[in-house]
Amino acid sequence: MKNYELQDIPQPNLIENIFPYSLPPLIKFEGKIQETIDGKTVEFDPNEVKTRDIHITDTTFRDGQQARPPYKKEQMVKLYEMLSRLGGPNGVIRQSEFFLYTKNDRETIDACRNLNLKFPEITGWIRANKGDFRLVKEMGLKETGMLTSSSDYHIFHKQNQTRKQAMDQYVEVVEAALEAGIRPRCHLEDITRADLPGFVFPFVQRLERLTEKQPDNMKVKIRLCDTMGFGLSYPNAAEPRSIPKLIWRLRNECGVTPDRLEWHGHNDFHKVHINGASAWIYGLNALNGTLFGFGERCGNPPLEGAIIEYIALKGSLSGINLPVITEMVEYYEKEIGTHLASNYPFVGKDFNTTRAGIHAGGLRKFEQIYNIFDTTTLLNRPPRVSITDKSGTDGVALWVNDFLGLKGEERLSVMKVAKIQRWVMDQYEVGGRMSSITDEELEEQVKINLPEYYKQHHRN
Amino acid sequence: MTRQEIAERVTKVTARELRRNIAEIRESDQFAMELGADSLKSIELVAAFEEEFNLNLVEEEALKVQSVGGAIDFFDKIINKK
Repeated sequence: MKNYELQDIPQPNLIENIFPYSLPPLIKFEGKIQETIDGKTVEFDPNEVKTRDIHITDTTFRDGQQARPPYKKEQMVKLYEMLSRLGGPNGVIRQSEFFLYTKNDRETIDACRNLNLKFPEITGWIRANKGDFRLVKEMGLKETGMLTSSSDYHIFHKQNQTRKQAMDQYVEVVEAALEAGIRPRCHLEDITRADLPGFVFPFVQRLERLTEKQPDNMKVKIRLCDTMGFGLSYPNAAEPRSIPKLIWRLRNECGVTPDRLEWHGHNDFHKVHINGASAWIYGLNALNGTLFGFGERCGNPPLEGAIIEYIALKGSLSGINLPVITEMVEYYEKEIGTHLASNYPFVGKDFNTTRAGIHAGGLRKFEQIYNIFDTTTLLNRPPRVSITDKSGTDGVALWVNDFLGLKGEERLSVMKVAKIQRWVMDQYEVGGRMSSITDEELEEQVKINLPEYYKQHHRN
Repeated sequence: MTRQEIAERVTKVTARELRRNIAEIRESDQFAMELGADSLKSIELVAAFEEEFNLNLVEEEALKVQSVGGAIDFFDKIINKK
């Protein structure tokens, strides 16, 4: 047994090399990850992610829109513009895919293109048939995704085809794309439930042979679609659910380079974000996501979560404009009329709001105790406290000081807000209240009990 | 202000805030244990002392005071700058 001695130090060790506060907490690795494939140990170097060109691709307007009422054209154009600002000049949000089927879809693409933004690049999405391919050509897109379902659930039971018929049909459309100078991106639907050696790998190898003489910017891309969220990031999980094994085989046995591999997840088993992040770490470059995780059934990888993960993995903002996330959620609420769960990470109304008095006390003393990172600077969202019978006088003091904008020595003590706290407690103990105290009610109490401060606040 | 005057005012405020008979209050009484002040009542009591003596107290120091005698000494020290 190793003996650990207490290190009674005069100053706290805040482990700031991992928790810098000025950035989301950093993700650091201390060694290689091992996986058993065909009885042999293979290694992944997670630190490779720091130098690899990992990025995010967006499907807010495709998969994200399949699960909700359609966006209006002007809403999509505004969101596209915000995606561009969020991802920054380095193209951390590299591409965004659009439907091409309706007049509105096509007009939206034109309007987005008219903004002349470098990122995200607009790509299309079609079913794998030649008729649909005409739409891509007409829109003059350089790349399109195409549905190439890969499990027998889809091939046999949805498409009523044999594996050979399905593969031949997919390849025919890929060939048509190449012929027209459009880069094909094959969406291998349901890959985590597919017969990998019996269909997926032969199909990918055929695609590789087909494009081996093409220039790099025309080689086929492979999107790994975890359509039902069955993928597992756990080391040594069995195929076909294993994400590490899938990526390793595609890279090492099929010859697909990381820049041509993309992960597209679903959240049916609460694994959507970690699966996407793991796919980055296990060796592919593109993580496909949607704003706030909107998507079919339980949703897709939340794009804003991927952005935070990107910063944590890379250790810098890399040109990302994080406060745009807050702008986006305000736009969804005010202009689109979509409200997110209040406890939704990074953007929900209460994501950095505490209700517990003991947490409020901690926040008052040293914000970092109960705030995940500097959300004020990075997201324009200062930590807040919601007042209930559990938030204590510390909570009221925190709320009042934030409301009055008092800093440092100016901040009012718990004694100065004791009358407000008494009023709060009476709401519950005398009045039997069951809901939180609203900001408006608290403002009224400040007006009554701290009139001089209230007047000063309004003068400012 | 003499210690005696401070003691009278501390006792008066304590009796009023904690709803006790002034004659029952002893310097040795602990606000929480003997006089029944919960955490909010303790803060209200300190707020009442602030008003009584027209002071703005440092929260961390003021809330450390546990007893009537401790409060008398605390204000004696502040007011008479000992």
